[in-house]
Amino acid sequence: MIMPRGQQLLLPVSPLFMLLTLLAAFVLDMLQSMSWLGNAAWAPDWLALVLVFWAIHQPLKVGVGISFILGLLTDVHQTSLLGQHALSYTVQGYLATMIHRRILWFDVPSQALQVLPVFMAAQLLELSVRIAAGGLFPGWAFLLPPVLQALMWPVMTVLLLAPQRRAPDPDKHRPL
Amino acid sequence: MPLGSLDRSPPPFFKQGTSALTKLLFFSTLSCGLMFADLHYNIVQPARWALSLIVYPVQWLALRPVAIWDQLDDVFESKQDALNAVELSRKKLLEQSVRASQVEQLTLENNHLRRLLELRERYPTSAIAAEVLYEAADPFMRKMILNKGATHGVQNSSPVMDDQGILGQVTRVHPLVSEITLVTDREHSIPVLNTRTGARGVAFGESGGAPLLELRYMATNADIEDGDVLTTSGVDGVYPPGIPVAKVVKIERRADSVFARILCESLARVQGARHVMVLEPVKFSLPGFADLPLAPQPVVKGAK
Repeated sequence: MIMPRGQQLLLPVSPLFMLLTLLAAFVLDMLQSMSWLGNAAWAPDWLALVLVFWAIHQPLKVGVGISFILGLLTDVHQTSLLGQHALSYTVQGYLATMIHRRILWFDVPSQALQVLPVFMAAQLLELSVRIAAGGLFPGWAFLLPPVLQALMWPVMTVLLLAPQRRAPDPDKHRPL
Repeated sequence: MPLGSLDRSPPPFFKQGTSALTKLLFFSTLSCGLMFADLHYNIVQPARWALSLIVYPVQWLALRPVAIWDQLDDVFESKQDALNAVELSRKKLLEQSVRASQVEQLTLENNHLRRLLELRERYPTSAIAAEVLYEAADPFMRKMILNKGATHGVQNSSPVMDDQGILGQVTRVHPLVSEITLVTDREHSIPVLNTRTGARGVAFGESGGAPLLELRYMATNADIEDGDVLTTSGVDGVYPPGIPVAKVVKIERRADSVFARILCESLARVQGARHVMVLEPVKFSLPGFADLPLAPQPVVKGAK
């Protein structure tokens, strides 16, 4: 991958790690809805965040198809309309794939600002689909999750890229 | 630097697979089709069943921390709390024993009266005890998930109650779990009876944000007061009659409207219910139910 000057070269990504992070994000989404937030409209969608992250960093491995499948599973878990999250994840996967060549040339805060429209587009799509299907308007707090997800982008960059930033030649001073 | 420490595989130059735009069109069409089918037809239910079996282990995993926390909470419950609980249940028992002693006499009297009026005996409905797993995360509606499903004998459209009153109705049954739509959901309506006046009405879920019910189509001058208790009237053939549903909390009588706006608070714990009973729909236990037509027959014009 072509990278901006002065950035650390990354190790190859482990597909197992990607799978585990996606699963962890799915479990985290379930945990926050089942245990403490209930159906609060402002709850951030961690799975959407991790999906967009991998679609931008590894567009050949995670993209529209995986987003669609995880969207369907989310629909079944949330008991929402079957296909609602599938549609919004598909669209955000496409948008992320579209911007992945450009976005990594910016510093991390600017990246966060640029993924915000992606999350917002997906959220607005979900809102319009549900209102059209006769759901009740959940309040303006429903527009908060994209902002929270964009704010979490730098944290995700540190966490999810950490295994790729390990030393290529570990010795006793740098065991990891 | 050792080999394999960098991603050395060249990106595919010519063969990029299906383009993202094609995938977008394919999958978004697919999801739109699924949503349409889910809204208007009942054909995606098997797909939901299959997917729910995939999701179930993940849900089980996600519920573990909660279960462990609950157990820890039980272990460290203070002595004072336990004593309070005992005191409370003793009081309740006393109140109920007074009522229970009246029940036998009332049942006897009731039986006599019923026989006198040659009414049918009231059929006892069977019930399944269930536990609420979690509240559904969809912010567009109000639903809960129970830990009993089709394999435990839960039927679609069964009423669900907790110890305080009617909680809702089973609207989707999966193999291992089932979904209930709460009485406060906008799509839900329930026929009720005002216990003070005997007036019948229909309570709908409130369309605003608050978890309330609205008693619609009551005239502005109708006899209704704050604190009136509404119970199920039983005219729908789903809910057994006489179970508490809601309490009137706010009445707005407006000059420009024929109907009063009456808001009621659900008596069942719509937020934080844990142990519930799934009752059998009343119509299933009626004699001769099998002979009844399931849907009202269309009237043929001109026929005699």
